[in-house]
Amino acid sequence: MEQSTKKEKRGDRVVLDEAQRNRRSRKALDALEQDNYHEDPHANLIMNKKAPKFEDSLNTERKDRPGKRKSARDFKQVRFKKSLAALLEEDRALGTESPNYMTAAAPASKFPKRYFCAVCGMYGIYTCVSCGARYCAKNCLDVHQETRCLKWTA
Amino acid sequence: MFVLDNGASTLKAGFATDAQPKVIPNCITKAKSETRRRFIGDQLEDCKDMSSLYYILCHEKGYLVNWEVQKQVWDYVFSKDCFNVDFDSTGIIMTEPYFNFCSIQENITEIFFEDYGAQSLSIMNPSSLVAYKYLIDNPKKLCCAVLDSGYSFSHVVPYVKKKRVKDNIRRINIGGKALTNYLKDALSYRQLNVMDETYVVNQVKEDVCYVSLDFHREMEMAALGNSRENTIWRDYVLPDYTSIKRGYVRPPEQTTGKATSAEQIIRMNAERFQTPELLFNPSDIGIEQMGISEAMMHSVNALPKEVQSHMYSNIVLLGGNAMFPNFKERLVQDLRMLIPEFYDINVTCENPINAAWEGGKALARCKEDLDDKAITKQLYEEQGIAYCVDFYNLL
Ligand SMILES: [Zn+2]
Ligand SMILES: [Zn+2]
Repeated sequence: MEQSTKKEKRGDRVVLDEAQRNRRSRKALDALEQDNYHEDPHANLIMNKKAPKFEDSLNTERKDRPGKRKSARDFKQVRFKKSLAALLEEDRALGTESPNYMTAAAPASKFPKRYFCAVCGMYGIYTCVSCGARYCAKNCLDVHQETRCLKWTA
Repeated sequence: MFVLDNGASTLKAGFATDAQPKVIPNCITKAKSETRRRFIGDQLEDCKDMSSLYYILCHEKGYLVNWEVQKQVWDYVFSKDCFNVDFDSTGIIMTEPYFNFCSIQENITEIFFEDYGAQSLSIMNPSSLVAYKYLIDNPKKLCCAVLDSGYSFSHVVPYVKKKRVKDNIRRINIGGKALTNYLKDALSYRQLNVMDETYVVNQVKEDVCYVSLDFHREMEMAALGNSRENTIWRDYVLPDYTSIKRGYVRPPEQTTGKATSAEQIIRMNAERFQTPELLFNPSDIGIEQMGISEAMMHSVNALPKEVQSHMYSNIVLLGGNAMFPNFKERLVQDLRMLIPEFYDINVTCENPINAAWEGGKALARCKEDLDDKAITKQLYEEQGIAYCVDFYNLL
C-alpha cells in the first residue's frame, strides 16, 4: 500500500518520479557488481553433521616458526573484512590528499548518450511514460509493461 | 624471486625463472555437485560440473576486502601443492590496485614479512610493471600510456620519463565482471534464465563477443534478426556437463537457431558486440562516465603539450578485456577521430593477461632496478610498516 502513495498518478497511469527512477537505475548498476545471484549451495549443509563445517575448514594454519618474533599487532584485529565503503570512509577521515580513488574517476563523456530498447536491445527511440525505460516499438513496450515496468520493487 | 600479479578475478603467479605464470582463480568456489569440499584457486579443475558455481571472491570493486579468503588462496599458492615457495630464500614482487588503501597495504606488508617471512617485498601497480618492461624493450622511449582493462574496472595510467603520473590516472568503473553480469541479465531476460551460470556465461562472452568497428551498421544488421543476411547471429550450445563438457559456438553454416533434442542453445545476436561496447560507451547502461578511448585522451590532454605525442605512439594494453577481437583496432579508430591527425598512434598488445607478470619477471632479472623498488626484510624490521607503505606509494 505504501508503494502506491509514493507513485504519482498521471491520468490512469502510475508514474515513477525522478528519485524513484534514479534509485532503480542505481540498483540495476549495483546488480552488475554482484558475485552471485543465487544462494550458497552449501549454506544449509552446515547443520549436517556429516559434512565438514564451514568454519572448521576455513581456519587457516598459521606457520608459527620456532624462534620467530611475534608482531606487536594483533593480526585478527586488523584483518577483519572491511567493505570498500568503509575503506573510503577511512580514507576520507585520514584526509588522503588528491590524487586519490575519488579524484581518479573519469568524468562524463562529452558525446551524446545513446538509448537502447530495454527489451530487445535495438535502438530505443521511445520512452515509457511510467518508468522512463526506453523501447523500440509497440510489441516491446507490451513485453516491458508485462514484465519489468512497474513490477520491480523500487 | 616470486612474481604475483594479484588480480581480483585471477592471480598470475610463478617464479621469475618460469617461462610463464600459472593463471589461478583468486577465489574459493563451491559447486552444487560437490558438497564435501570447497575449491581453492585452481583446485576448481577437479570439479566436473561447473553449473551454478558459487564464488567467494576476496575483492570488492577491485580492492582486497576479504582477508580470510585471500589468505587461504595465497597459502595454497605458496604451498607444496602448488608452487612450494620457500620464503626463507625468496623475495616477492606483487601487484596492487591503483590508489590502494593504506590499511590494505599495511596488511599485505605485514602478511608477507610476518606470516610468510619473505626476504623482500615489492608492491607495484600492474601498469608499472608493464611500463617497466615496455621501456626496457624499447630503450629509446621514455614515455608510455598503459590501458589496463581488467575484471573490476579500467584505468589509463601514463608514464613520463619512466615515472607514473598519478594525477593523470583515470578510472572507468567497468570491467569484465560487469560485462559478464550484463550479458547474463540480457540473456536471462530475453531467452533463458542463466543468472546463476556466471562460469558458463563468462565462457560465452569469451567465445563469441567482439568489439564492433562499425556500431551503427552492426545494429542495423542485428535488427534483421533471423535472416540469412544477418552475419552476426550465432548459436551457442550450452554445456550440460554430461555429454557436452564445454559450451561451443556452432559454425555459421550450421546456425539454425534450433536446438537438437539433446542440447540447450543460446542465440547470440546484438549481445555479441553490445557487451564489450560498454567499455567504450559506459553510458549505454547508465554509467555516466566516458569510455576508455575518451579517457585515454582526457588523461593525455592533461599532460604537458610536449609529451602528448609520445603517449599516443606508445600505448600498451593490459588486462583480459584486451582479448576481445578488435579491441585494439577500435581503440585506434576512436583515438583517430578524437585527436589531431599529426599524432601517430601505436598500440602494443602482447598477451595482455600475463603482461604485468612478465613485467615483474623482467624486473626480477635486473638486480639494480629491483633494489630500487624492493623493501628487504631487514629494512622492514628496522623501519616498520608506515615506512614501507610510503615507499610503495612513491614507486
Ligand atoms: Zn525492442
Ligand atoms: Zn516502463
